[in-house]
Amino acid sequence: MTYEFKWSVLWAQPHLTWLIDGLLTTLRLASISWCIAVLLGIVFGAMRTVPFRPVRAVATAYVEFFRNVPLLVWLFFWYFGAPEAFPEPVRQWFIHHGIEFWSAVAGISVYHGARFAEVIRAGIQAIPRTQLEAGLSSGLSVVATYRLIIIPIALRLIVPPATNESLNLLKNTSLAMTIGVAELTFAARQIETYTAKAVEALTSAALIYLVLCLSISSVMNWLEGKFAIPGLIARGTRAEH
Amino acid sequence: MKRFGLALILALIILSFAASAPAQTQSTLEKIKNSEVFTIGVRNASPPFSFINKQNERAGFSNDLAELIHKGIEKKLGKQVKMGMKETSPATRIALLTSMSVDLITETMTDTRPRRDSVDFSLTYFVTGADFIVKKGSPIEGVKDIAGKRIGTQQGSTNERILREKYTQAQLVTMPDQAAAFMALQQGKLDAYCNDAIQLWGLKYKSANPDQWVVVGEWISYEPYGFAMRKNDSDFRAVVNNALMEAIEGGEYFKIYEKWFGTKSDVPYPMTQAFKSFLLNQVVPK
Repeated sequence: MTYEFKWSVLWAQPHLTWLIDGLLTTLRLASISWCIAVLLGIVFGAMRTVPFRPVRAVATAYVEFFRNVPLLVWLFFWYFGAPEAFPEPVRQWFIHHGIEFWSAVAGISVYHGARFAEVIRAGIQAIPRTQLEAGLSSGLSVVATYRLIIIPIALRLIVPPATNESLNLLKNTSLAMTIGVAELTFAARQIETYTAKAVEALTSAALIYLVLCLSISSVMNWLEGKFAIPGLIARGTRAEH
Repeated sequence: MKRFGLALILALIILSFAASAPAQTQSTLEKIKNSEVFTIGVRNASPPFSFINKQNERAGFSNDLAELIHKGIEKKLGKQVKMGMKETSPATRIALLTSMSVDLITETMTDTRPRRDSVDFSLTYFVTGADFIVKKGSPIEGVKDIAGKRIGTQQGSTNERILREKYTQAQLVTMPDQAAAFMALQQGKLDAYCNDAIQLWGLKYKSANPDQWVVVGEWISYEPYGFAMRKNDSDFRAVVNNALMEAIEGGEYFKIYEKWFGTKSDVPYPMTQAFKSFLLNQVVPK
């Protein structure tokens, strides 16, 4: 009854192809969702700090609504619920163009968009109010002050928490398997169910996620150093890596 | 890159612990005797084999047979033990079995040769084959019509494997469980859902509007169901098989069959003469 290890199941075909396809799907899902989430985060994060109450209220509603429901529930909503509201031709088009994948993109990006918005709001609020006042008094509009001064500084401030959020987003793509997206975790489970080699299959997925996440945090660290504005932000020595 | 290396080394250390985990040496009968619990692996939505009924109780054909095996175990051990139930799925059941969380998988597991590398099976207690369920009026009448269509399957099932390997023209959508797959079919997100015929009949009769669903096609596979247990535990296996043989010989098996698949049941599925002979032939002399 001892468990026998058989690591070769990972590179035996078709298992290797499944893992590679799964990895590519995970990367595609994560990168598309990340771009949308960051965009939503910047827009709503900035809106939460502007000096007009109705705009702030809209942004607050978005953030509180989307971040306070578990991502898994959102995925079911975007797959089983939301498409039913579309007109039939649109719905059919989605069904025949990867509805599982795009529902996952919608769920992950909107949920993480709300979380990114909070990170960006924190970044903006860390900038002294005098910066906004200085911008306005030099003749810039509110939008121009945000675009040219506030957001560029805020984006630099938030690199560490944004890295955290990005890693969460990448790892959360694994939930997409519950709505039939054949991503990396799905591929590992698939190998497991075909071979009953659970430890090998799940270890391979764990190591791939680990390498992906470490790569992302290395890149983010490099970006942080590269785009630092000398003298603007008081900082200790660079993070050890 | 120091951090990268450190994290990887840490991962490898954790892995080597997993690799050196102590082997289980306790036999299943010893385990049941000591813990006084016989745990079976069940399902919540595989009617009429293993499911949660309208009274919110675990029930089904497999459950009733497991009850007979439970009695056989008590007789063998000479003491009363409880029967525990744990929810399993095709993706988790083998792991739950090998980790000693359950002692017998009693839902709807097809006996296959690759699976016999990891688990042992009891006698065959039911025989079915894969079919498709479609909405009434669908152009799909069988496996010949599935090219380019969105066909749902359940991850880790034998049907999924057959479709993936032999019928590559279909566009497979693999769902984690039956409930999700049937929901997607109802919403038109799938053109058909493939599973063992008997389970599709169960789904059809359990759905809100049974007339709306049709089970179509010739069986594209042969699915003999067996109860799965840990490998190389022949004493336990003998207890399970003897209980089944006694049930077939003594007629309890046929009563239970009538209860779940008879003309008055929810899923009428009359027993063929061939299957009856097959069952009786599995019984070895006393």
